[in-house]
Amino acid sequence: MSTEAIPAEKPRRNYNALFGLTLLALLVLLWVLLSFSTSSFASANNISNLLRQGSMIAILAVGQTFVIITGGIDLSVGAVVGFATVIAAMLINAGIPVFLAILLTLLVGVAIGLFHGFGIVKMGLPPFIITLATLTSLRGIGLLMTNGNSISINNDAFQEFSRNSFLGIPNLFWMVLLVGIPAYVFLHHSRWGRYLFSVGSNAEASRLSGVNVQRTIFMAYTLSGLCAAFVGVLLASRIGIGNPTQAEGWELQAIASSVIGGTSLFGAVGSVHGPLLGAFILATINNGANLLNVNAFWQRVITGVLIIVIVYFDGLRRRSGK
Amino acid sequence: MTSTAQDLHDTPVVAPGRTILELRGLEKKYPGTHALKPVTLAFKAGEIHAIVGENGAGKSTLIKLLTGVMPRTSGEVIWEGKPAALATPHEAMALGINAVHQEVVLCRHLTVAANMFLGEENSRFGILQQRAMVREAQKIIDGLGFDLPAHVILGNLTIGQQQLIAAARATVRGTKFLIFDEPTAYLTRKEADQLFTLIRRLKDEGVTIIYISHRMEEVFELADRVSVLRDGTLVGTRDIAETNDAELVRMMINRSIEQIYHKEHLTPGAPIVEARNLSGKGFEDVSMTVRAGEIVGLYGLIGAGRSEFVTTLYGRHRKSAGHVLWEGKDVQINSEHDAIKLGMALAPESRRDQGLCLNLPVGLNLNLPIYKRISRNLLISGAQERTQADRQIADLRIKTPTRNALASSLSGGNQQKIVIGKWLAHGAKLFIFDEPTVGVDVGTKAEIYRLFSALLSKGAGIILISSYLPEVYELADTLHVFRRGKLVATHGFHTADHEDILTQALAEKQEKLGGKT
Repeated sequence: MSTEAIPAEKPRRNYNALFGLTLLALLVLLWVLLSFSTSSFASANNISNLLRQGSMIAILAVGQTFVIITGGIDLSVGAVVGFATVIAAMLINAGIPVFLAILLTLLVGVAIGLFHGFGIVKMGLPPFIITLATLTSLRGIGLLMTNGNSISINNDAFQEFSRNSFLGIPNLFWMVLLVGIPAYVFLHHSRWGRYLFSVGSNAEASRLSGVNVQRTIFMAYTLSGLCAAFVGVLLASRIGIGNPTQAEGWELQAIASSVIGGTSLFGAVGSVHGPLLGAFILATINNGANLLNVNAFWQRVITGVLIIVIVYFDGLRRRSGK
Repeated sequence: MTSTAQDLHDTPVVAPGRTILELRGLEKKYPGTHALKPVTLAFKAGEIHAIVGENGAGKSTLIKLLTGVMPRTSGEVIWEGKPAALATPHEAMALGINAVHQEVVLCRHLTVAANMFLGEENSRFGILQQRAMVREAQKIIDGLGFDLPAHVILGNLTIGQQQLIAAARATVRGTKFLIFDEPTAYLTRKEADQLFTLIRRLKDEGVTIIYISHRMEEVFELADRVSVLRDGTLVGTRDIAETNDAELVRMMINRSIEQIYHKEHLTPGAPIVEARNLSGKGFEDVSMTVRAGEIVGLYGLIGAGRSEFVTTLYGRHRKSAGHVLWEGKDVQINSEHDAIKLGMALAPESRRDQGLCLNLPVGLNLNLPIYKRISRNLLISGAQERTQADRQIADLRIKTPTRNALASSLSGGNQQKIVIGKWLAHGAKLFIFDEPTVGVDVGTKAEIYRLFSALLSKGAGIILISSYLPEVYELADTLHVFRRGKLVATHGFHTADHEDILTQALAEKQEKLGGKT
């Protein structure tokens, strides 16, 4: 067929970087506008606050992106965050050393991810279904474990962490880099990262090319579970309690961040920097709306509309870029 | 209101022999490419007009212009004596111009009847008249002589049957001008014969047909006239009676037919793989040996068990009996991974479903099997990744702007080169090519065959599956014939003639196939 006639596409790498830049430009534009229109936006206090707000969704969005690139979805991450706060709180209150408690909590996240992998690969369940099931079950298990109460964490050092800063930047934001940089190397410069893309694009072709498709899917959900459990630890530190109903709806914010960041829900398209920027764009919108005294109910509406607008324009730009 | 095939008689068509559609200097430019240089051509009402040419010669562009999918750059289209803009697919359809594509573009999850009437549903007070539509659809299908039920889900039919439905669908829409774009690429001989019957019938009813195919014998079987495109230029139009294979191929590629099947006879070396009494899903008790430096051809109808045999050999499916020897040693192949580790490579039958990651870059596709080799502790060497990809692109002469272009943006032939090429760097010893030249033009075919020779001279062995007899006949050192899951005959190079091999592949079913072979 004469599809050869279709003109050369721009090299993918440049294009990705360019896309990252447009998102960054949007973020900077929002910041500039808000600095002029409100007195408090540009204050050090507010910026720290903004970074803290965005950080946790950003980390969730990275894990979510791995899954979405394989053509799947992880609806459980919000529930995993809530559940992880309970586990972390219980372990710390039981007198287990904090680093060990954190490690064990992370392992719980890994276990949940492996369970998702098992359900998808071995039981043949659609990702949407198995993670939806986990979403409701985990909240239930957490409530059973806590009898519906919050568990106060009695460890000041643990709670200090999320309030402190290092080099003037909130610790929580450093955690984004701690996750983001290895995630970037993993996704864009490692063999397994390539396999995430190839499985998301065509699982059968990947299998016939010798790619271990099952392992790749296990890996994606495990990483997402791990990121979610890590966020759970951070949230427990920030609010000082373990409560299974925390982080309600964060899975949708994570998915939205990922999609705003250029991830395709059809799989095989995505990056690490995109979702990070997406998460901070969402955080900025919420933060700015608060400062501008926009009704909290309207904020939700505005967020929804902005998701449509951003993703629509991204789609337009992509099509015209071809 | 829906029309049946019978109604076609009432459709006013231009008297046979008169010009129904005329192209005057029709031209299409893309940024950087001149896809179609000014073409002037007149189609006569009621003729079957074949268009042949290599991939990228401009055939698809021509179709897209005629069906209103893309706007033309310049030139005029005269439809029944009046200029037509053909700016939208809707306009083309309203005039009576329709197309049946190589890949079926219908709704797989709906019933045959629902697909037949898609967009023109029969409803009363807003309620679909489902039973009436099924009845109507069945009448049309029966009228066309297809033995297919109208109430089943389309996706449950074979690709070939779906293709027939797509063709039937086009005929009920008051079509006066119907374009077939390589309709037989995925059809069995029987299905192809049914399709040809349909096409001839449409012609008798006054419909003008454009028939695009890579298969010369189909062109000679069907067409009244044939036009040849090369590099976006109309090289010429011939009456079918006044031309022959050799002339058309020369016009298409500027090369003689003997140069296409490039074959060197090497003395086969040691056995690479031996299948002993292998059985599995879809095939039974198959034994064969592939030695270094030889091509083993597997010929048979689609569904005869050839693909099932090789995918089982490759570990994709479980064998139920028998064993496999690799370089003389008994081996267990439980997964594709085991097969690849031994040194097997499979270029599968369907490049879209099994061969390529279409929305990923060419480079990634080429490197997919060798990422283990070009990475250390998981980290990929960027430099090696780039040089490997670029080398493959250069060696295989893959036409792509860069290694970063998406595989989907390449032509069929170039995509096929990726499917094959990704195994070259891997350094396999046994290459399995399942229908490597389906939908590929003559020029690319020749390149693929030369690639085979290169692999053989490096000591590799090849299993070549093809439903196209001339291909296996001219290339295979050993030719196995499959029928209904069994290996029924084995021939050396040119030790049997086409007729015998065909008879063995078809056996008792032959007389039902409507003659021509």
